[in-house]
Amino acid sequence: MKNTHDIVSLETQRLLEVQEKVNKQLLQTNTALQVSEEKLAVTLNSIGDGVIATDAEGRVTLMNPVAEQLTGWVQTGAKGRPIDDIFRIINENNRKPSTIPVKQTLVHGTIQGLANHTILISREGAEYCIADSCAPIRDRDGQVVGAVLVFRDVTEARNIEIGMEKARQELAATKLSADAAREYAESIINTVREPLIVLDQDLRVVSVSRSFYEVFKVKPGETVGQLIYDLGNKQWDIPQLRELLETILPRKTTFDNYEVEQDFAGIGRRIMLLNARQIQRASGKERVILLAIEDITERKEIEAGLGKAHEELTALATELKRVALVKSEFLANMSHELRTPLNSINGFSEVLSNETFGPLNDKQKSYVNNVLTSGKHLLLLINQILDMSKVEAGKMRLSLSTVSTKSLLHEISMLVADMVEKKRLHLSLEIAKDLPNIEADELKVKEIIYNLLSNAVKFTPEGGMIVMQAKRGHAEIEIVVRDTGIGIAPENIEKIFEGFFRVDTPYSRVTEGTGLGLPLSKKLVELHGGNFSIESAGLDKGTLVRFTLPIMSRKEA
Amino acid sequence: MNKMSKKVLVIDDNQNSLMLEKDLLVVAGFEVFEAEEASIGIELARDKHPDIIVMDMRLPDMRGSEAARILRQDERTRDIPIVFVTASVLAEGKEELKDIPNAGFIGKPINTRTFAKEVGNFIAHAVSDDQQ
Repeated sequence: MKNTHDIVSLETQRLLEVQEKVNKQLLQTNTALQVSEEKLAVTLNSIGDGVIATDAEGRVTLMNPVAEQLTGWVQTGAKGRPIDDIFRIINENNRKPSTIPVKQTLVHGTIQGLANHTILISREGAEYCIADSCAPIRDRDGQVVGAVLVFRDVTEARNIEIGMEKARQELAATKLSADAAREYAESIINTVREPLIVLDQDLRVVSVSRSFYEVFKVKPGETVGQLIYDLGNKQWDIPQLRELLETILPRKTTFDNYEVEQDFAGIGRRIMLLNARQIQRASGKERVILLAIEDITERKEIEAGLGKAHEELTALATELKRVALVKSEFLANMSHELRTPLNSINGFSEVLSNETFGPLNDKQKSYVNNVLTSGKHLLLLINQILDMSKVEAGKMRLSLSTVSTKSLLHEISMLVADMVEKKRLHLSLEIAKDLPNIEADELKVKEIIYNLLSNAVKFTPEGGMIVMQAKRGHAEIEIVVRDTGIGIAPENIEKIFEGFFRVDTPYSRVTEGTGLGLPLSKKLVELHGGNFSIESAGLDKGTLVRFTLPIMSRKEA
Repeated sequence: MNKMSKKVLVIDDNQNSLMLEKDLLVVAGFEVFEAEEASIGIELARDKHPDIIVMDMRLPDMRGSEAARILRQDERTRDIPIVFVTASVLAEGKEELKDIPNAGFIGKPINTRTFAKEVGNFIAHAVSDDQQ
């Protein structure tokens, strides 16, 4: 069986050769593999990304230096450990652990990218923003035998991104508030009744308020973007406006209340008050001009009307004053002209009545006395009118001297004693012991007191009572004349001072009076710087007249 | 009253006043000269040398104060007392006359009962003033 041995030997020889061949190939392959592994290592060491390779179970098989640096692990320590231990990642926003893409890659055999915003926490706790991806390692049959995780430190880029995002957000916020501000401003501008116009540096209209359209009867289409002077068929080409915008505004940046008058085709002649502000825009060097236009045409018209009315009133007042003066002068002249013949009438009838040139019979005497009484009444009236007109014209002068008040009061009460007796009235004087002398016009004071006493006598029915009180006040004396007479109805108290007011009672027909006694007395008291008032509880309730006179005159003599 | 009646010159442009004053003075025993104008009155005063002159303040040719000054400048009339009959008892009216010596006032309207007496009193006062 030499043949079988040979066959075996031959076969063995062949097998050995094959083995030798395989060994050689294996050696070659190993060498090649070593070379490629070395090449890979060099490659892995030189690239800027971190690289971690795992086996099919996700255990670390390889790490490059960048991966070592970022994870804080060295390859020797990490090898064989689960990827989770080495590659700890969390979500940037919620800081919860993120899924490591290796697992998906191993399960699905797909390339996985990391979700954005991932933070790698190193063994030492340092954090790195990373971007990564994971790719499967397949054998020749296509079976997934591992994964390669490639990642990169993007902290810097991320910071820039975050910064940009923040900036973007701020920008967005700014834009939002700018919009809000704009809306706010616009709503204000549109609420303001005076037209507003915004111009750019070239004096072109940027925007105008609603009221501008309303007041100047123009449409937005023919306004925005136009040169201001070109608005409304160049109606705004106003020399004054040109000067304001081109000369004054650049120099002063504002101008206030410039009055500009212009004839507008649609709305007629308008007077406008212009206010302008040159506003530097926040962004850039661009400037805008805010021009406020107040239509003051109506106001001007009203002002003019008022001015005219005022002038007319002033003229009227002047005329009234002049008329009053003329009236006073007329009255003064008239009084003089009336008095002269009246003095003759009174004088002659008095001489007749005195029977100086012979006796009269009773009838003649009675007639002459009537002439005399009427003449004297008329003279009193004329004198009082003259005095009133003098006071009113400011021409009444006081002739001041020291007046012995006590004796003056007694003297006047003696003057009315006859009348008091005739009417069987009771007149009592209550004069304070410390009543001082006063500085006054004696004749005027006599006239005042006589007027009051004679009034009291006239208007008090028979058997009535009259009281005259005088006392010292602080810097004045106070005199009160009180009676139990017919009084004054409340509604007539003020009328008494108007002059010629005659109380409408049965007494007024039988009593003599001019109707000027009280108003004149009041004026004379006031001329002295005193107060004059009249009180009455009503008709038939008596009358009380109270007046004061300063002890020392406040007027220069 | 003296047996030798006193002479009074009355100057008033109002004929009624003139007549009334003259009559009252005549009744009281005065010898009365009358004039309606100041210039005539001044001539009369120089000529007749009255004891007193009764003069209205308003005269047609001049004011009473002016007439008084002329009278005071003339030796013949310098010492004759003057009484102005005036409605103006205001300070301003008296102001006009305050520098005229030996002058007085009688208010208008005159009191017919006392007028002649008042005039007579002025003559007496003027004399006593001279004596002082």
